Amino acid sequence: MQDFFAWFQWLYDETGINLTYFYDSFDRARMIDGFFTTIRLSLVCLFFSTIIGIVGAWLQGSRLVWARRIVQGYIQFFRNTPPLVQMYFFFFALGSLLPRVKNDFGYMEPMLSNFTWAAISLSFFAGAFNVEIFRSGIEAVPESTREAAEALGYNRLQSYMYVVLPLAFRVCLPALNNNLVNLVKTTTLAYAIAVPELLYVSNQIWSDSVNVPEMMVTLLILYVALVGLLVWGMHRWERAIRVPGYGA
Amino acid sequence: MIGGTDLPVLLPAAQRLAERVRREREVGAPIPRLQARHGAWIAVILVFSAGAAGAQAGAGQESVLSIMLKWTPLLFQGFIFNLAISFLAMAGGTVVGALLGVWQISLLPPVRAGSWLVTQFFRNAPWLVLLFFCMFLLPFQVRIFGVVIPLPDWIKATFGLALPVMANVSEIVRGAIQSIPSGQWESAESLAFNRRQTLWQIILPQCVKRMLPPWMNLYAILTMATVLASVVGVSEVMTLTGQVLSAEGGRTDLLIPFYSYILLWFFIYCYPIARLTVRLERHFAVKT
Amino acid sequence: MFRKLLSLTIAAGFAAALAAAPAQADSINDIKARGTLIVGVKADYKPYGFRDPSGAIIGIEPELAQDVADKLGVKLELVPVVSSNRMQFLEQGKIDLMIATMTDRPDRRKEVLIVDPNYYSSGTNVMSLKSAGLKKWEDLKGKPVCGIQGAFYNKKTQEEFGAEVVAFKGTAEVYTALKQGLCVGFVYDDSALIAQLQDVAQWGDYEMSLPTIDDEPWGLAVQLGEDKFAALISDMIVGWHKSGRILELEKKHGVANTPFAIAMHEKYKNM
Repeated sequence: MQDFFAWFQWLYDETGINLTYFYDSFDRARMIDGFFTTIRLSLVCLFFSTIIGIVGAWLQGSRLVWARRIVQGYIQFFRNTPPLVQMYFFFFALGSLLPRVKNDFGYMEPMLSNFTWAAISLSFFAGAFNVEIFRSGIEAVPESTREAAEALGYNRLQSYMYVVLPLAFRVCLPALNNNLVNLVKTTTLAYAIAVPELLYVSNQIWSDSVNVPEMMVTLLILYVALVGLLVWGMHRWERAIRVPGYGA
Repeated sequence: MIGGTDLPVLLPAAQRLAERVRREREVGAPIPRLQARHGAWIAVILVFSAGAAGAQAGAGQESVLSIMLKWTPLLFQGFIFNLAISFLAMAGGTVVGALLGVWQISLLPPVRAGSWLVTQFFRNAPWLVLLFFCMFLLPFQVRIFGVVIPLPDWIKATFGLALPVMANVSEIVRGAIQSIPSGQWESAESLAFNRRQTLWQIILPQCVKRMLPPWMNLYAILTMATVLASVVGVSEVMTLTGQVLSAEGGRTDLLIPFYSYILLWFFIYCYPIARLTVRLERHFAVKT
Repeated sequence: MFRKLLSLTIAAGFAAALAAAPAQADSINDIKARGTLIVGVKADYKPYGFRDPSGAIIGIEPELAQDVADKLGVKLELVPVVSSNRMQFLEQGKIDLMIATMTDRPDRRKEVLIVDPNYYSSGTNVMSLKSAGLKKWEDLKGKPVCGIQGAFYNKKTQEEFGAEVVAFKGTAEVYTALKQGLCVGFVYDDSALIAQLQDVAQWGDYEMSLPTIDDEPWGLAVQLGEDKFAALISDMIVGWHKSGRILELEKKHGVANTPFAIAMHEKYKNM
């Protein structure tokens, strides 16, 4: 294994192509940590944004006027403002408002770490788009199906859970997949609040070792691979749960 | 009787309600009301935080509001940059993306495969990484036929942002073309249109209607994404805000007011576009 | 079919013509011919380079850049740079001269031509809470320390002393994070920290208690190979030290006179 890494040192000496994360163990550890942080952040955000989308779509159809207004306000705010500024807002502004807890080192630190804030901010951002997507899916369910469920004695929550949502989900899955893929790409923004994800770590490495082109190409390849994997998985899933007769 | 009432005092309200019911019937769903108030919420946050910050400010320090007014011209210049980047990236990306989209349904396998590959690649790459790529690897000036053309930073950022726009437009165009019923292609063929004529004179005009809402949605996303250019050092509104905060000595009580301020600007710009998109969507709703 | 092929060939021809040929770097003559000296400076590092409300970049380093432009008899154009792109801009030829708080290090001398003698110096130190009671660098082990992205001492702080560096893009974010308790201290140039700690209203609970390490001089740089230009700048730097210009600028922008600047003035004032 060491010989494999050592070869990259030779590569640097001979050709000037500097891939420090291969031959330098510190950089290697950083890159691997960064990669897994990106994956963790993506998974957390995927999960929570989907839940926010479902809950938001449910509230949009609620009979309470204020529930509808709040959801509408939430969507318009998160869709019409840059996610980078949203993240700053959450992290610095809201972060300063929350109470502090005493940590092991004996000084007060904020309750939520920057990873948590990044997850919250991105989940809300993607959730806003998800609400619209789920709503369009729910509206695609024929009224007759809904009426039939009502006639069979389902209350609103039950018909939502057992009848409407499964159908809506299958109809809106392509748009949802698109949004989730965008979410994974948007996790790069967490770099601005010092979450040690892939872009942040790469930035540190290329600042230290001045090997910008190599790191850029590495980043590009890693992200395209990660996102490509997700897209492929999503396509498989789409095909598996397709409703015959709907969609292309 | 909808909208009818014999109580004179209710007449104006009754007419308003009748109008709304009629519109909702057309659309088929309740129309969300009055969202300009949501922009007002951000303004409320801004004023509240500025006030709170102002209350915290020491005796010798300038008030937050006067600092914000002092720096507004500079920040506004940066904001214009953002808008310029978004226009140019959208224009460039749309033109190339439309071509790519048409090539994706080409009859020649290499053209199809090549344009599919380019589209998928630029769709799967994060916008920030593409931006970094363009900023660092494009030269700062090019020589065409002996004429030196400088490429300032913001042009490179525009190019970097035009790439994902191109890929997304390509997908939008392809999706729109494929949603046209095949009957159109067949009747065009029977009327002796060749493929290129069919595409340009029959199919694409019908597609424009379908493409408009997702295209405008893309523009909104792009406008947000221009803020990414700050990460690569372009002097747009986010970078300038950071520099302004630093010039004010890193005063922490200015952070929220300033960022709410530019949040408000973005909202004021993007919200009307969002409303316009919704109106266009309804106007062009394809009757199936 | 033929028309399609023709248009494709023309497009390919354009692409080939557009093949980027980066222009060569300018020497003194080219600067004079152009009429403008392009200097890269920081725009987010008070007091070395920061913005004023009209958008102009002011500070110690822009004023030094103005001196150089005056000497050459040309106008001055300032380009804002950050740590991560300042050497690149110089290498690409986008800027002629770089005065951007860059520490003079051997690996950097391989990329750009750093002019001797050095014009400034500062060391690395940490601004931390008095209540944290940090006495030596090893005390930072395992603790989160804020920093600026791209600073070279971040790696050392993390690797050698075991701290967990949380790096932000700009100083405003760092100071906010520090106030919020996200990190126990801020690792930065000691001259900037001293200036910040003078603001007792904001930073009274903080101190700079660790010994300053890596007191390394800063270097301003030109492109590799620009020996004539470097010689001219070198004479200017000697002139600055001789006349006490650096000390004067420090005082003007509220920085306590650094030991290096004082020492250099003593050394050159009688030459």
